[in-house]
Amino acid sequence: MAEHSAPDQKHKPGAASASSSSSSNSAAGSQALVNSRSSSSATATGAGPPTGGLSGGLSQPAGWQSLLSFTILFLAWLAGFSSRLFAVIRFESIIHEFDPWFNYRSTHHLASHGFYEFLNWFDERAWYPLGRIVGGTVYPGLMVTAGLIHWILNMLNITVHIRDVCVFLAPVFSGLTSISTFLLTRELWNQGAGLLAACFIAIVPGYISRSVAGSFDNEGIAIFALQFTYYLWVKSVKTGSVFWTICCCLSYFYMVSAWGGYVFIINLIPLHVFVLLLMQRYSRRVYIAYSTFYIVGLILSMQIPFVGFQPIRTSEHMAAAGVFALLQAYAFLQYMRDRLTKQEFQTLFFLGISLAAGVVFLSVIYLTYTGYIAPWSGRFYSLWDTGYAKIHIPIIASVSEHQPTTWVSFFFDLHILVCTFPAGLWFCIKNINDERVFVALYAISAVYFAGVMVRLMLTLTPVVCMLSAIAFSNVFEHYLGDDMKRENPPIEDSSDEDDKRNPGNLYDKAGKVRKHISEQEKTEEGLGPNIKSIVTMLMLMLLMMFAVHCTWVTSNAYSSPSVVLASYNHDGTRNILDDFREAYYWLRQNTDEHARVMSWWDYGYQIAGMANRTTLVDNNTWNNSHIALVGKAMSSNETAAYEIMRSLDVDYVLIIFGGVIGYSGDDINKFLWMVRIAEGEHPKDIRESDYFTPQGEFRVDKAGSPTLLNCLMYKMSYYRFGEMQLDFRTPPGFDRTRNAEIGNKDIKFKHLEEAFTSEHWLVRIYKVKKLDNRETLEHKPRLTNILPKQKYLSKKTAKRKRGYIKNKLILKKGKRPNRKTV
Amino acid sequence: MASSSSPSSSSSHLPSRGCLLFLLFLLLCVQLGESQKKKENLLAEKVEQLMEWSSRRSVVRMNGDKFRRFVKAPPRNYSVIVMFTALQPQRQCSVCRQANEEYQVLANSWRYSSAFSNKLFFTIVDYDEGADVFQQLNMNSAPTFMHFPPKGKPKRADTFDLQRIGFAAEQLAKWIADRTDVHIRVFRPPNYSGTIALALLVSLVGGLLYLRRNNLEFIYNKTGWAMAALCVVFAMTSGQMWNHIRGPPYAHKNPQNGQVSYIHGSSQAQFVAESHIILLLNAAITMGMVLLNEAATSKGDVGKRRIICLVGLGLVVFFFSFLLSIFRSKYHGYPYSFLIK
Repeated sequence: MAEHSAPDQKHKPGAASASSSSSSNSAAGSQALVNSRSSSSATATGAGPPTGGLSGGLSQPAGWQSLLSFTILFLAWLAGFSSRLFAVIRFESIIHEFDPWFNYRSTHHLASHGFYEFLNWFDERAWYPLGRIVGGTVYPGLMVTAGLIHWILNMLNITVHIRDVCVFLAPVFSGLTSISTFLLTRELWNQGAGLLAACFIAIVPGYISRSVAGSFDNEGIAIFALQFTYYLWVKSVKTGSVFWTICCCLSYFYMVSAWGGYVFIINLIPLHVFVLLLMQRYSRRVYIAYSTFYIVGLILSMQIPFVGFQPIRTSEHMAAAGVFALLQAYAFLQYMRDRLTKQEFQTLFFLGISLAAGVVFLSVIYLTYTGYIAPWSGRFYSLWDTGYAKIHIPIIASVSEHQPTTWVSFFFDLHILVCTFPAGLWFCIKNINDERVFVALYAISAVYFAGVMVRLMLTLTPVVCMLSAIAFSNVFEHYLGDDMKRENPPIEDSSDEDDKRNPGNLYDKAGKVRKHISEQEKTEEGLGPNIKSIVTMLMLMLLMMFAVHCTWVTSNAYSSPSVVLASYNHDGTRNILDDFREAYYWLRQNTDEHARVMSWWDYGYQIAGMANRTTLVDNNTWNNSHIALVGKAMSSNETAAYEIMRSLDVDYVLIIFGGVIGYSGDDINKFLWMVRIAEGEHPKDIRESDYFTPQGEFRVDKAGSPTLLNCLMYKMSYYRFGEMQLDFRTPPGFDRTRNAEIGNKDIKFKHLEEAFTSEHWLVRIYKVKKLDNRETLEHKPRLTNILPKQKYLSKKTAKRKRGYIKNKLILKKGKRPNRKTV
Repeated sequence: MASSSSPSSSSSHLPSRGCLLFLLFLLLCVQLGESQKKKENLLAEKVEQLMEWSSRRSVVRMNGDKFRRFVKAPPRNYSVIVMFTALQPQRQCSVCRQANEEYQVLANSWRYSSAFSNKLFFTIVDYDEGADVFQQLNMNSAPTFMHFPPKGKPKRADTFDLQRIGFAAEQLAKWIADRTDVHIRVFRPPNYSGTIALALLVSLVGGLLYLRRNNLEFIYNKTGWAMAALCVVFAMTSGQMWNHIRGPPYAHKNPQNGQVSYIHGSSQAQFVAESHIILLLNAAITMGMVLLNEAATSKGDVGKRRIICLVGLGLVVFFFSFLLSIFRSKYHGYPYSFLIK
């Protein structure tokens, strides 16, 4: 490694400057803490090169190198951790958004009731009246991790609240992610690239978006598990040792327990093996690694209650099984080749391969048709056929995370990395070996998925960091080390183990880089120090811009808790809008403990977590028809909605209304999705076109469709809003979000009554009245006893009826008998 | 008819006023029956005619007279779906042509379905053949789909909401099912062009491989594979998948001053042209990085390598700052820029 040491040390300042400048920029956000860190990092890096120089550390270069690596990784961890703290510093230590509230609630349950109680937890507070078996329907990794940390800390008599553990879990794990990224990149390229990759992933917005402090979500720990599993996989393919493979399986087990995205691993690793087979790179190492991984990983993954028998029963996992069978067949044939003549072998080969392929294919089809293997699930299918979700599953299409990705999102989340990582991919493919096949496949599949769904940008981010780091490290390696006139005797013995193992393999020249260096040495004077320093300067500048961009994005886009809103006045002072917590706390304090609250599913977790009340639907969107029922209630008129609410035992209805402060994420803006989802289940009652004007517009003013103006959601949102004049320039009842004067100002409720409206009207809660004791009539009661209003009644009415005598005999005239017929 | 005949036989002998009354009633009945009969004849004739037409072609073409006779005139027991359109080339209505294709798909799947009956007919009225119909219905845009129910006049919901739902055959079928209770399963004639193209490609590649079977070295050509991988990456990072799913216009032409803008003003959307520009910029930056590496590692003339190095550096720096400025123009409030504002 000695020949790498000098370039490593030389480009570490680049890496460290990326991290330190990020932290110094975050220090601009008034963090004294981070400021001191950045200065310390500056001193560390400033002290780095001279001490790491060969003159000083010649005796033990490896020692200096590892010390420096350690320092840089530590600083990367620190920078990553501190740049994720914006939300905590600006607001408070609070759980963010929606899903984290559920995770927090179940972690709380775990911490207070114990692990087994958590596994058997039946949550009767969700999905009323169905309830939810939480233990069997969550990936428990996150809760168990947080609970374990909490338990250990409390064992050590460090008393922290479970909420703080949850809030800071994701930033802490980001440090682990950057270390595992370092390890993986070191396996793929060299140590310098590894350090750069670690610094990149510590601050890249694509990952920060899911791991800021307070965002207590599966992805926060899952990316660490993903990277670590990949590292161990690459390690086990390189060494072919069962030890590393078992480690890989354990890491995979952790990943399965943490996130549904484990499907990505269980498809990517078989793909890697398959491509290695195609490229005729089969070796015993691959065989050992994959066979062990598949069997042990399969058994371990089935231990998670939520996963259960899925790995052997769903189509998503069948590729892994198929590759396993193929690998066995291939290995068997390889074995036979040594025993047979060439002619015999060829016939056997074709026979065997075609037979094996046919059997596998037919059995999969047979099992799918007979129902042993479930076909692709809708969410998975929508990854391939991109129009599928839009037509068939509105509940998937309605989630903004499931939209395709524009180039702006790519650039926003990855900045310069998105432009340079193809170069890293280029270098990897040009100098291909077993593990670089893996990273190439990883990059291509991840970039495809990220293009289909914004949410999967998260899986793309690590590989982009690694490949960009390779590209930058390649450049720095050549341009930063200009004044190195040094002897390179120990080049050969420090080459990759892999190189030694199969020296005959043409494509396994991992040491090609080294070859370049030795070539470069001859022509080193060529480019001249000026050009080299210009290139270095500009590259460092780009990296600095990257760090600045990351901090800006983190601070502006990804650090809002969305439970607490902030608005800024003209003079820069800040208003905190705490309506959500105000309303949830009202619910907690003023309603019956078992009250059922109906709201759209977005707020289910928050109501359960903060208000501790029973909800009908929540963010775990497993029951579409239940959600559609709520959507139907919201989009019907009051009478029809009351029927539904009575049948669902609803006590309170909670809605979010942003018309007063101009909050755009409110229920009226989400309303069309409610209608769509309701229409999917009840096409006879709800029709989307009824909610549009004849011109096809969705408007809330007078021109809006009457169905909209009288539906429950509209009435609840704008109840008494017509009396409110926000501004002298606008008429009363002016909706700031939609910039329109509302069309129905005279709203009266029959079955509901307003129970609570928060300070800025952001949350409105209505109480559903019980049925009246005596049913009131729709029409006027029929009058039975008519008392004459006038005293004198004229006899000369229009019909001029005569008086009559009771029981008077009435003479009926008979018919004249027809003589002729008689 | 049967009900009116029985009293007539019994009461024919009745003299005087009652008889007259009965006679009058009878006459009325007969006349009514006759008109009924006439009506039924007319109806049967119309249905027969329509069936004949639609058996010949799944979509019946109509002019003004036919439209009034078969669609507007009252004795009907069938629903008619009418597409008002302008298919003549001089009208230059490209939407009409697309809508027509979908409509034909739908009509054909109705025509050849097992549920085909005389309850529903698909017709078309072209503007150049029945301009008077357009005037009569006060219609000023094409294409328009309307449903004429068996009884009564078309209501508001009988006009298909083209703007919002689009004119996919499936959507039309859903609408028809909604209006008439006739469920049509849309059967698209399989689009062979994709399959043929794929087969052609496969056979071409196969043939190429076969021709060069003695020299298969190029499969191991890493440059080719690297190029292919980069193509996928560039396509995805420039948002081609977004284009594929959302189908944005190529560029936007301002109708007022005719200026063409290639960059969408919002960060939520993009034009096709824009994504192509981004693709090129990304590729240029990547190429710059590769050239920088190339300049440092390749053997050869020093001057040439210096030039390569500078070109590479220029590519990276210039195009990155260009990219940054485009991003800045789209993402409002973004404070940073580099070289180019």
